[in-house]
Amino acid sequence: MPTHSIDLVAAQSLIAQGDDLKKSGQIEEAVSCYLTAAKGMDPPLAMLCLKLARGYERLGDFHSACRWTLAVVDAGDDFPAWQAASDLLQRCGSDGGVAKLRSVRVALTGSATTTQLAQMFKLAARRVGVGLEIYESPYGQYEQEIINPHSLLYGFAPDVLVLAVHERDLRLPQYSDSPERDIEAEAGRWEKLWEMVGQHAHTRLIQCNFALPSEAPMGHLGARLPRSRYMMTQAVNARIGERARNGVSILDCERLSSLFGKLRWFDPRYWHLGKQAVALNALPLLARHMTAVMAADLGLSRKCLVLDLDNTLWGGVIAEDGLAGIKLGHGVDGEAFVAFQEYILKLKQKGIVLAVCSKNNEADAKEPFEKHPEMRLKLDDIAMFVANWQPKPDNLRAIARALDLGLDSFVFVDDNPIEREAVRQILPEVDVISIPADPAYYAQALSNYLLFETSSFTSEDTSRTSQYRGRAQIMELQASATNLSDFYRSLDMKAMVASFDDFHLPRIAQLIGKTNQFNLTTRRHGMPQLQTFVKDPNCVHFYFRLRDCFADHGLVSLMIAVRRANVLEIDTWLMSCRVLGRTVEATMLQSLFERAQALGCTSIRGTYIPTAKNAMAKDVFAKFGFKLLEEGEGSTVWGFDLTVQQPIKNEFIEVVQSWEDSRESTPTT
Amino acid sequence: MNQHQQLEEVFREVFNLEDLILADATTAQDIPGWDSVAHINLMFSIEQAFNVRFNGNELAEFKNIGELKAFLDRAASLKSSG
Repeated sequence: MPTHSIDLVAAQSLIAQGDDLKKSGQIEEAVSCYLTAAKGMDPPLAMLCLKLARGYERLGDFHSACRWTLAVVDAGDDFPAWQAASDLLQRCGSDGGVAKLRSVRVALTGSATTTQLAQMFKLAARRVGVGLEIYESPYGQYEQEIINPHSLLYGFAPDVLVLAVHERDLRLPQYSDSPERDIEAEAGRWEKLWEMVGQHAHTRLIQCNFALPSEAPMGHLGARLPRSRYMMTQAVNARIGERARNGVSILDCERLSSLFGKLRWFDPRYWHLGKQAVALNALPLLARHMTAVMAADLGLSRKCLVLDLDNTLWGGVIAEDGLAGIKLGHGVDGEAFVAFQEYILKLKQKGIVLAVCSKNNEADAKEPFEKHPEMRLKLDDIAMFVANWQPKPDNLRAIARALDLGLDSFVFVDDNPIEREAVRQILPEVDVISIPADPAYYAQALSNYLLFETSSFTSEDTSRTSQYRGRAQIMELQASATNLSDFYRSLDMKAMVASFDDFHLPRIAQLIGKTNQFNLTTRRHGMPQLQTFVKDPNCVHFYFRLRDCFADHGLVSLMIAVRRANVLEIDTWLMSCRVLGRTVEATMLQSLFERAQALGCTSIRGTYIPTAKNAMAKDVFAKFGFKLLEEGEGSTVWGFDLTVQQPIKNEFIEVVQSWEDSRESTPTT
Repeated sequence: MNQHQQLEEVFREVFNLEDLILADATTAQDIPGWDSVAHINLMFSIEQAFNVRFNGNELAEFKNIGELKAFLDRAASLKSSG
């Protein structure tokens, strides 16, 4: 539900004026009319975004053309507009838009026409900073392509393989004599295909599950007959969901089709005409969700939700209306704000870090959190609470610094369109959600924002906010400590360092997928590759869990190194940014050296491969006495001679075999 | 905007040809880029723009723009009669 601050009639007349100017060849003037019209809209209409994109294209400004093309994605899920945007992107996409694109090779394979889906997917991915190169399997050949180790699909070497299949592909009878056998055979068939993909390619897999059709020959009886195709389809969905791990993600098409409305999701005419398994107008939604699942796999999901207070978490203005006067808990709006807070708590539960950014006196702003009986969010839930009169973009920067998170992991929610616009303009890397005027729809608007998708769920996720709070406390301590050594000692840090095991592999894969900053080589190994490492006797691999007097930070760093003769070569070394400046690097190297010596290696080699985000790790080898061996294209190769140089020992972190109270967190994937 | 102009607009959007002029005798051969995929996008876009639903067989083929307009009239009349 778009919110408009100038009336649509005025905007329409500006657009008409722009159209006339364009017809008479005054492109620059036309664009300026369109821009004025767009200013009053949040988000601007898709049709207007397209006019702006084409105007800029005519003017040769491909950067702006690209930006407005991508704005179509935020304007709504309208297929014709997306189609036009997709054409525009092809023409000016290579020149403009996001400065640093992450490029990903995607193989799209299925049993229906995928051409339009591929185009929509490209557009949606580009909107989140991912440039897709897509290979589409020949029509209907998903099985052949996966079974044949020499197929074009494998030749393409995809990073991500999407199994875009649909309910007609299920080998299930209308009625079964032995439903369990049929369900198991069908679920097993898909699982087998995943295994084959794992054998022939290092790729992540996105499996579409099966949208139940709109026709129901058995009627309501079908819902209580386990041998009906209807119930068996549900069972297959459940079973492939249970078994999807090791780099397989499920795209829940059954949920999406219900969300969209099955009568619209399926259009039999377009199936008969062109084998469109999903109606064209549902493709933008499907593409956005496909992008969200892929982004989660690639570690591009957002981590932090920054919230305004007045008229966002409660109705009214606390400083004016007072504790008893704000709308919260009673009346339609009051209940809506409670529902919104409850939804936010569910996001926190799955690992989203919460922060507050409000223009208020701090004492006023905190009062409802401390005293209002209907507040669902408590101060403990907020990792960083900022209430002052500074501009919000400045405060967002301060929150990012305090939490040590990138602004590109922030999502900002504010009821005030002026604040939203300020953040959009000054901090384009922050995602800003356009919440509607009616608080009843706040939770839906937040739920329609897809980049909080995560690809795994561990108990560390549920306690993330407290970890970040602990970190903010540590920063205070650091500010007061006079000497760094004393500060480190005062933290009472303990580390558990151990080889990879099945128990920790999901978290390890998650870290490999999403760590961008302290990541020396940024090699995104998937689960199959990780398992290969674990089995390889020449491979050294270990993870690192950190505790201090404030918090259990969980598994925060890992190392993979491969032995070649007497040289131990670091393949992957990364560390979560939340423990930067804690001497973790030193203990990681200390542990690596111990293992290298145990293997009889005489030297260590490490490589730094630069990316857009990992400059902070550039000097780590030099800092610990490695010698520069090679240099080229920004990459550097470093060596440490164990026969000559003194190995590193870190006195600030005590390495232990297990936690004394050893209350292990359990992955609940 | 009359039906013809509105149809022209849709064609210009779908085929990305800002100066495209339609005549009743225009056929698929006259417009560059009109392949089977573009055809599906076109028919869907027309349905959206005019808020009508074609019959399945009308979606599949028509001789020329004149016949397409006749289909549109039929679909529109169905809509107005409820």
